[in-house]
Amino acid sequence: MARRLKDTCAHPAGRGAVGLLCLIAALAAGCEVRRPTNNHADQQILYTAVGADPQTFNPILVTDAVSGELLGDVFESLIRVNPVTTLPEPGLAQSWDISPDQKTITFHLRHDVRWFDGHPLTARDVLFTLKVIYDPKVPNSIRPGLLVDGKPLAAEAPDDYTVVVHLPKPFAPLLYSIGIPVIPAHILEPVWKAGNFNRVWGINTPPQKIIGDGPYKLTRYVQNQFIRMDRNDDYWMTDEHGARLPRLHGRVVQVIPDANATYLRYQYGQLDVYAPRAEEVLDIRQKIGTGRLHARLRQIGIDTGELFFCFNRNPRHYVKNGVTDPKLTWFTDRNFLRAIAHLVDKQAIINLVYHGLAVPAVSDISPENKLFYNPNLRDFDYNPGLASEIFETAGYHMVNGRRTDPQGHPIEFNLTAPTGRPEADQICAILKQDLENQGIKVDYQPLEFTTLVEKIDSSFDWDCVLLGLTGTIDPNDGSNFYRSSGNLHLWNPNQPRPATPWEAEIDRLMDAGASEMDPQKRAPYYWQIQQILHDQLAIIETVRRKDYVSWTDSLENYQPTVWGLYKPEWIQFKL
Amino acid sequence: MSAPVTTLPRLQAAAVAGPIRGGLAREWRLASRTVRASVICLVVFYLFAAFSPFFAPYDPIYQNRSMPDCPPMRLHLSAPSQWGYGVFWTYPLHMVDAEERSYAPDRNHRIYIHLFSRGHLFTTDSEQAPFYLMGSDGLGRDLFSRIVYGARVSMCVGLIGVLISFSLGIAVGALSGYVGGLTDNLIMRWSEIEMSLPSFYFLLALAAVIPPGISAAQRFLLIVAIMSFISWAGLARVIRGMSSSVRSLPYVEAGRALGGSRWRIITRHVIPSVLGYAIVAATLSIPGFILGESALSLLGLGIQEPTPSWGNLLSQAEDPQNLVRYPWILIPGIFIFLTVMAFNFLGDHLRDRLDPSSSF
Repeated sequence: MARRLKDTCAHPAGRGAVGLLCLIAALAAGCEVRRPTNNHADQQILYTAVGADPQTFNPILVTDAVSGELLGDVFESLIRVNPVTTLPEPGLAQSWDISPDQKTITFHLRHDVRWFDGHPLTARDVLFTLKVIYDPKVPNSIRPGLLVDGKPLAAEAPDDYTVVVHLPKPFAPLLYSIGIPVIPAHILEPVWKAGNFNRVWGINTPPQKIIGDGPYKLTRYVQNQFIRMDRNDDYWMTDEHGARLPRLHGRVVQVIPDANATYLRYQYGQLDVYAPRAEEVLDIRQKIGTGRLHARLRQIGIDTGELFFCFNRNPRHYVKNGVTDPKLTWFTDRNFLRAIAHLVDKQAIINLVYHGLAVPAVSDISPENKLFYNPNLRDFDYNPGLASEIFETAGYHMVNGRRTDPQGHPIEFNLTAPTGRPEADQICAILKQDLENQGIKVDYQPLEFTTLVEKIDSSFDWDCVLLGLTGTIDPNDGSNFYRSSGNLHLWNPNQPRPATPWEAEIDRLMDAGASEMDPQKRAPYYWQIQQILHDQLAIIETVRRKDYVSWTDSLENYQPTVWGLYKPEWIQFKL
Repeated sequence: MSAPVTTLPRLQAAAVAGPIRGGLAREWRLASRTVRASVICLVVFYLFAAFSPFFAPYDPIYQNRSMPDCPPMRLHLSAPSQWGYGVFWTYPLHMVDAEERSYAPDRNHRIYIHLFSRGHLFTTDSEQAPFYLMGSDGLGRDLFSRIVYGARVSMCVGLIGVLISFSLGIAVGALSGYVGGLTDNLIMRWSEIEMSLPSFYFLLALAAVIPPGISAAQRFLLIVAIMSFISWAGLARVIRGMSSSVRSLPYVEAGRALGGSRWRIITRHVIPSVLGYAIVAATLSIPGFILGESALSLLGLGIQEPTPSWGNLLSQAEDPQNLVRYPWILIPGIFIFLTVMAFNFLGDHLRDRLDPSSSF
């Protein structure tokens, strides 16, 4: 599981229309006491919501969190991670043996797994999946995490249900990295050979044609509305009494770009699960207390991802015809970035945006990741006085009320964030205010998520962005972000070779960390990476919110954790 | 010989503009209470727009980060012996619960409110110890100051918009009606096409292509221009009808017979005869502009934060949570409502007074 950009909302027009609708609904809620009923329990169908449409149905090409979440239920991986213990557990591989020298790992596949079309899943599918991931013509986020010293894993299949992986040297995160979605070779191999893999299984594919092996199959997708998934009756997993899993008969994932609308639907019982925003937590607690909402609310921990400002450092965007845009000079100047970091008022963000339900973020790894989180980083305190001192010392002086660089260019840049999230607007408004007090002109323009991703991925036409990333249990799975060659190495992605010494050092530490087998000895490598990112200010952290989940009372076995659902196949409605 | 003929159109114009010749004092006496209240309301709001820094107690973009969503504060009258500090005072509020955003007054201190101090109508010693007449928004900015500054956008959008769309509408309508023939046909078919476009969606589409990175003032003017561009057609059609009927009236015929040029006849005879209707229609269409701007800004396509407009001030109320907990964020809506009502009452009144066909 590589790191992913967090999903957000759709275009402003749609958002507004929904906003008006929900205003009316809210007024109606005041006079109506009747509790709406639904038949989710009778049908055993779980209704949830996501904020954006999936970008692809091809599990290898996923970069967004929505597609990742949906396809996680459709495609199974060799090994799963238990979100409570954060340890590897059997998936498609019912067991595995590690050779004493740690260089050979043998996976024994289950014999009873079938693709939706009845074809048995064999070692051939696993080998094909690896082949596709290593194909340089297939851009994917998985590859960086599966390279050992920059080289692919060597895998072979002695028989149909055994996969042997040979490593050039011990590779600690293998059991996490190998948790990749396995794809059906009998369907996709011809496509891949024809060179059409990057176009197959896009969101316009009829959902029935997506052949997976997971607990649910996609049955219907209406863009901007919902994704319907039905239970895979041939799923291999059974519960302790031998009954088939999953217990739910299906899932409906509604696409609701507007967070207010999502919350209203949850209150009206149209959704069964909801992750409330900070200002809604109190409301839910009060409604549960007064009996107006039959639900539970639990704080599951601190966000495992991160929310940060990032400045573009990509010479491919800023150097045109041999002329360097002064912006590139500012955005790679540590003094400039340090001054900006001292202008991020984290306490204000916590109080104004998250109603106190957040903590300042210092490192890019969440404190929830107990093993790899570096607790020794020193935060950049909010201190406008110090910031202007740093600016002045570094030669950024005030000229006629405008902060100008040593060459006399007034400092001015664009700031963007995904549309439709009031939090992002507010955080940017807070930073913008502080920057403008320093004489820096900021043009804030939120962008639709897809457009934003396109800019970050390929056109590189952006200056500064406020963005969220999901977190991973094993930091090596964040290779697509940390490594200079990664596609989510946001400030300068897909570098042929590291552009700066510190990026080279991070690459080296990633390699070193991956080959150390003792978890306690591994941690210092990643601590050092956090330290470098913190010092170089490639990303400027903001805050981490406290994660809450609320779910309807009639739902049983619903066990959310910050790392995902525990035993999701056991979830059912009380009858 | 020529003298009596040229006075005819003057008479016609006088008949239209006649009633208001009696002086403003007479008009005021004739107006109903509702109309007087409307006029006062509008005058106050335009004063807000013209002298925002004076009426607003604080900087509209200053964020008091310790006081988000602070409720309106209670005003107390000082004892006469305290008037040296300030005639009014209030208890400072401080946040007791960050999650709930509940505030409690600190009864050991007082914040004195100074009238006509430091260039403001009223203000306190510092922005850190504020007096929030109408509460604060989610970023701790004074809502009243933002409303006052927002009046600049919201009150001017109507005037400028009407100015553009009516000059366009009257010119095109009068020309088309008077000239007739192919010109008339072309212009009217074009205006029909424009009228048949669903206006709000058209507005959304146009607002979405406004380039990013332009200044707030440029953005404002572009939005007004877009709205004017959408709304001129309706007026042009009515004016065209009126001017084509005026065209065959004796005084216009006479003007033509005396060799008046087409331009002269349109500007001297045709346009004055439709002006009465146009003034009424203009007054009644100002609310449309104000509401249009509010809707665009509410959706985030109009005036951009942090520049306040009454529309984007309301966008915080989009979240029903906020609406229930911090009801004062709806106050900008009251201002929009009052303005729209005032213009409607005024327009109705002007119609009664200016329409030559109605008796009074």
